[in-house]
Amino acid sequence: MSHLLEVDNLKKHFPVHGGLFNRKTADFRAVDGVSFDLQEGKTLGLVGESGSGKTTVGKCILRLMEPSAGQILYDGADITHLKQRDLRRLRSEIQMIYQAPAASLNGRMTVGQIIGEPLWIHESLKGDAARDRVLELMNVVGLKEEHYYRYPHEFSGGQQQRIGIARALAVQPRLIVLDEPTSALDVSVQAQILNLLQDLQDQFDLTYLFISHDLGVVRYMCDEVALLYLGKIVEVAATEVIFESPKHPYTQALISAIPEPDPDTQREEIILRGELSSSQSPLTRRGGFRGGDGGCPFAPRCHAEKLAQCETVPPPLLEVERAHQVACHLHPQLDKA
Amino acid sequence: MTDLLNIDDLHLEFHTYDGVAKVLAGVNLTMRRGDVLGLVGETGCGKSMTALAVPRLIPMPPGLITAGRVTFNGEDILSKSESEMEAFRARHVGMIFQDPVTNLNPLFTIREQLVDAVLYQQAQGKKVPGRWRGFRPSVRQLRKDAHARAVELMRLTGIPDGDKRIYDYPHQFSGGMRQRVLIAMALAGDPDLLIADEPTTALDVTIQAQILRLIRSLVAQLGLTVLLITHNLGVVARSCERVAVMYAGRVIEESPVRELFRNPKHPYTRGLIAAVPQKDVARGGLEGIPGMIPNLINAPSGCRFHPRCEYVMEACRTRVPPAIDVGAGHSASCFLYPEDA
Repeated sequence: MSHLLEVDNLKKHFPVHGGLFNRKTADFRAVDGVSFDLQEGKTLGLVGESGSGKTTVGKCILRLMEPSAGQILYDGADITHLKQRDLRRLRSEIQMIYQAPAASLNGRMTVGQIIGEPLWIHESLKGDAARDRVLELMNVVGLKEEHYYRYPHEFSGGQQQRIGIARALAVQPRLIVLDEPTSALDVSVQAQILNLLQDLQDQFDLTYLFISHDLGVVRYMCDEVALLYLGKIVEVAATEVIFESPKHPYTQALISAIPEPDPDTQREEIILRGELSSSQSPLTRRGGFRGGDGGCPFAPRCHAEKLAQCETVPPPLLEVERAHQVACHLHPQLDKA
Repeated sequence: MTDLLNIDDLHLEFHTYDGVAKVLAGVNLTMRRGDVLGLVGETGCGKSMTALAVPRLIPMPPGLITAGRVTFNGEDILSKSESEMEAFRARHVGMIFQDPVTNLNPLFTIREQLVDAVLYQQAQGKKVPGRWRGFRPSVRQLRKDAHARAVELMRLTGIPDGDKRIYDYPHQFSGGMRQRVLIAMALAGDPDLLIADEPTTALDVTIQAQILRLIRSLVAQLGLTVLLITHNLGVVARSCERVAVMYAGRVIEESPVRELFRNPKHPYTRGLIAAVPQKDVARGGLEGIPGMIPNLINAPSGCRFHPRCEYVMEACRTRVPPAIDVGAGHSASCFLYPEDA
């Protein structure tokens, strides 16, 4: 039992209002039964296109959003229904780093205040003691002492992300949810931040839940990868396994679509039909790409040869090989003889 | 002389309250008809400005072109009048941008916007008829033809059910479909040059793959010349034949695609390629480029990359390195290579 985080059948449904008197007419199922485990000290990548529900999963784990159903175990304890008072303690254990560094930092606070605020809230540190800790943190993430009294807008995107990382580290968390931490950055800066994150993980024994749409970055950062499609996990396995022998047709298409910076990589490109339905189309069925409620959510875009049950039976997430789970009718469960 | 586009030593400044930002400092770029050229660089390196300088879409002031020439099909663009430019843009250049949401008007249907584009391009594209123009089609007929052309453009860009969906509003389209609509709009005037400014940055990878394939098929079908601006080296590797790498307002390396990735010459290009997480990079093996992009108001002297370069020499600080031919249609602006080899 070395799982730091266990997520079991997590669901988050948003009500959709419409019709007469704006009644609730439907549920938008952003996250629809997601389960995974995360071992201490490891990095799990949560990958999906926009609208697949990956950020919602991250927010539910921090209880920044209330899950509709399911269970989240942190260090063996159920945190799904924690009260506000206990949540505060939880949040010194789990922290989040956001995508848009500029938007996630308060523009009216100096860097020192931003990084010092969690210290005050969680540890009642203030004055010189807080200042020393802040400077230490700034040093850890590669900011200079003279940045203490500057404001976020004076920094470049990469530097701003360093501030966000220092703020997350301030309370000495064990688990950090990284929500697309580098997608707003240029590649050369992205490389710096990714390396920093790896150094910090080694230094402080951190566990990462790494949310990203960039498979290249995920391959570099993660030990394990879970792929989300329309709120459901379609495949989970160790990173090498996912990239070497992807099983689910969606994973195959996604990997074939990564543009490798190497013109000699001769790879058969699988071009998917249609698009992930937007937040509206699963309700209006306009695009028609959500699939029937009964079937596999990916069926309408699937390029593989379809079976009869693809349209009617939702495929369960099964272990098709050791430590390799796939939700696809084409891949039967591993015989556990 | 079959160059379609020739940018020669282009200098562009922006006058700001903090001082004069030298955004382009001698850009040289040549495109032949049928080329697919990738223009790569990080934020603020001037790649969009270079592209906008061709149809002269840079607001002036605050912008100011201080030196250089831009010729298109042998015509000098910088000396044209504004009304000549309008006709030029309509006839020769189509542009698509990064964000397909803000480039469509949410209050009008796709039909209204696409038909407008077609009509405008036709009006600008034709020689202005003299007094005796004889038979002139009615406005109604023109609009009908334009509608047919719009549907045809939607088919060309792979929008299913174009004849029905043309009556939809932009919000009824997904991101990838909106980008297709914008490509259709850019193609309305049958342009020679398509400038695609980060066309897939806002899209998911599977949709990106669709759009890149569409652009490639348009090149094959219509014989378009494409200037593809991107920060993503993977996109370039997949869709371009030649690449120009920009850094801080200059093109620092230009080469055929394969040659660039096999044999990058400029230290910045090498750093950029090494910074992309690739298949065989082990944990901790990713190399960033130390430092950050220079402030263009107070840009470094000589080679603008020299403060971040590990091979910096005395000459780099004082002189701007010229584009040095390093063989196989490959040139790099770096003093590491002998100037007259």
